[in-house]
Amino acid sequence: MRTCEDIQARLSLLVDGGLSAEDQATVRSHVRGCAACRGMLADLDRLRAAARELGPIAPPDHLWLEVAGQIRQSAPRQMPRGPRRIGRNPLWQWAGLAAAMLLVTFGAYLVRPSAPQDGSAPAASASSPTATTAGASNPAAGGSVETVAQELNMALEHYEKAIGELETMARAGTGTIDPALAATMQKNLSAIDQAIAQSRTALVEQPSSEPARTSLFEALRRKISVLQTTVALMNQMRLGDADGAARLAAGAGKKS
Amino acid sequence: MTDAVRAHADLVLAEQCRANAPGAFEEVYRAHAPRLFGLACRMVGRPDAEDLLQEIFLTAYRKLGQYRGDSALGTWLFRVGTNVCVDHLRSRHARFAHMADPIDDDPIEAGAQAGAVLGVVDRLDLERALATLPPGCRTVFVLHDVEGLEHKEIASLVGISDGTSKSQLHKARLRLRRALAPTGTQGRT
Repeated sequence: MRTCEDIQARLSLLVDGGLSAEDQATVRSHVRGCAACRGMLADLDRLRAAARELGPIAPPDHLWLEVAGQIRQSAPRQMPRGPRRIGRNPLWQWAGLAAAMLLVTFGAYLVRPSAPQDGSAPAASASSPTATTAGASNPAAGGSVETVAQELNMALEHYEKAIGELETMARAGTGTIDPALAATMQKNLSAIDQAIAQSRTALVEQPSSEPARTSLFEALRRKISVLQTTVALMNQMRLGDADGAARLAAGAGKKS
Repeated sequence: MTDAVRAHADLVLAEQCRANAPGAFEEVYRAHAPRLFGLACRMVGRPDAEDLLQEIFLTAYRKLGQYRGDSALGTWLFRVGTNVCVDHLRSRHARFAHMADPIDDDPIEAGAQAGAVLGVVDRLDLERALATLPPGCRTVFVLHDVEGLEHKEIASLVGISDGTSKSQLHKARLRLRRALAPTGTQGRT
């Protein structure tokens, strides 16, 4: 026979469903015949229910201003992005320049379709705007500032062309995917557009800024990725492949 | 919204914050500050909670680069918030580290003679009673009963064992029961 003390020590676990079936039966059997333990069990239930009702508490309005102010103060010294923490070490600047040139070349390589043998205009593939680029060459081999700038502009043009075509496809397929998903994709695209605009502004102000250039290409790449996912989702939904669409949506969460 | 879509949105938002996109971090703040402020108020008390909320968001801002989307952004922020609050309590209460609240030396007479002593529990009364608990059991009560965390999660966040978490929760509930009992029944609880 368990004492009330033994039983009461287990009442919290009973309330939380943390007792084994056997212990639960023992405790419940005792509680049925003991007013004191039954009363305590009822009180613990009430307390637990009341605690669940304690919701969020709105912070005073001024707190956001203080947080924002402190972030502004700390931002120049402690940016969370990797490239901006690199600082002014010349070695890193050279490494950054090299990385930027690689990125520009790679960007152009990725988005530029193979030099068309028949002289026709290049076109991005529906499912993958990068798929048509395999084997593309990089004709601009010079190392001058002008050459790099030309490469950059060419890469940007190709990104924009691929994005434009994907956007057209995405618009044409509106309505084939779940509205909530479409809304999220749209929100993501708007956010990326904002990042693109900011990077462009930064590049206009500082054309040699490597972080701005990197951010711009990152944002363009993300935009292509989101658009590709959107178009692929639409294709899956058109084919009636809900499982494939779900896999793509899950993949979208991991990719971006 | 599915988990995958939410994870995608969270990652994009975190990326915007890292890029200092205008409004991005404010969006994070507006969405999550009330829950985190509630957590801080209940764990450390209102006077310190305002400072801690700022510390939570500054810490989150600095650590955003570590967010990989393995959990929802809100869950990640909650973990940051809990760590900030626990560190604060540790610095204030040396005994917190061992979770050896005075309650351990003050066995509760668990109401061997009484029946139910609580009626409807008023929210403000509960908040006030909560503030009187020792920090160790208050922390576990807030994380378990208010925030709905499992003992295993609490143990990992606070750095205690599952068993300690369970016993602290029980003690917190008994103390609250005693604190909330109407005058005249307290001797019986």
